[in-house]
Amino acid sequence: MSVAIDDDRLSETFAALANTTRRAILTRLSDGAATVNEIAEPFAMTLPAISKHLKVLERVGLIVRSRHAQYRPCAIEATPLEAVADWAEQYRPVWEARFDRMDEHLRRLRPEPDPEPEPTMEKANNHD
Amino acid sequence: MTDTDASKDVVIERSFDAPVELVWAMWTEPEHFKAWYGPTGAEIPVAEMDVRVGGHRLVGMSMQTPNGTMQMWFTGEYLEVVENRRLVYTEAMCDADGNITPPSEMGMPDDHPTTTQVIVELDDDDGKTKMTMTHAGVPADSPGAAGWTMAFDKLLAHLDAQTG
Repeated sequence: MSVAIDDDRLSETFAALANTTRRAILTRLSDGAATVNEIAEPFAMTLPAISKHLKVLERVGLIVRSRHAQYRPCAIEATPLEAVADWAEQYRPVWEARFDRMDEHLRRLRPEPDPEPEPTMEKANNHD
Repeated sequence: MTDTDASKDVVIERSFDAPVELVWAMWTEPEHFKAWYGPTGAEIPVAEMDVRVGGHRLVGMSMQTPNGTMQMWFTGEYLEVVENRRLVYTEAMCDADGNITPPSEMGMPDDHPTTTQVIVELDDDDGKTKMTMTHAGVPADSPGAAGWTMAFDKLLAHLDAQTG
């Protein structure tokens, strides 16, 4: 099965993961689903702060929350992680962006195909 | 067994509307290299390139982060240099003096190779350039990727164990 995750989505996943608390939450959830209270327990953080982190993770699809159970337990969703862990896929957008910049740089270096004749300065300097 | 897993290489093909000599210069002349290599928001204050087989390279990257300026250094060696045709070099994280940083110091498992390899192939296409870039091995030059890689490997292994 191949799961296509586009570059933007991958960047969002990176951004969501670029935080030690959120990575710790994911590690906690890799032991199994947990409620917000359970997740918050080991952290010196308020519940709203933890909820904020959970929302970030949920938005990029790294966790799913039950819509029906009373305590809305959170569970980890491995698919985006697998995309990120596949290092070739995490490097591709880096290189693509670099080559976009190379292309721009080359464009700036390219000489104009039809250089316009230099406007003559003779008139302005003629003070005699 | 230490060979790279080809299915995990990054292979990118690009066409540039520029002669091969100029695209070659993008990779081998510091002033050009600095113009495109750094990620958005990063600068490349240092790019030393002794472009000949066995010659060394040292690239310094600085990025603004909420915690201040982050400096990263990459070193490597040129393995193949065929002007305007083919360039192969290695890349590894290092300190400002070019000493390679052990993967464990970057928070990576010890079995991670420290070095990756970049292969650039250029083909003249009637004045334009077809470029194929292959990045092989395990990543060592991404800001933050080091720590993440370890976290993911652990996490995925753990998930595999849970789900069977």
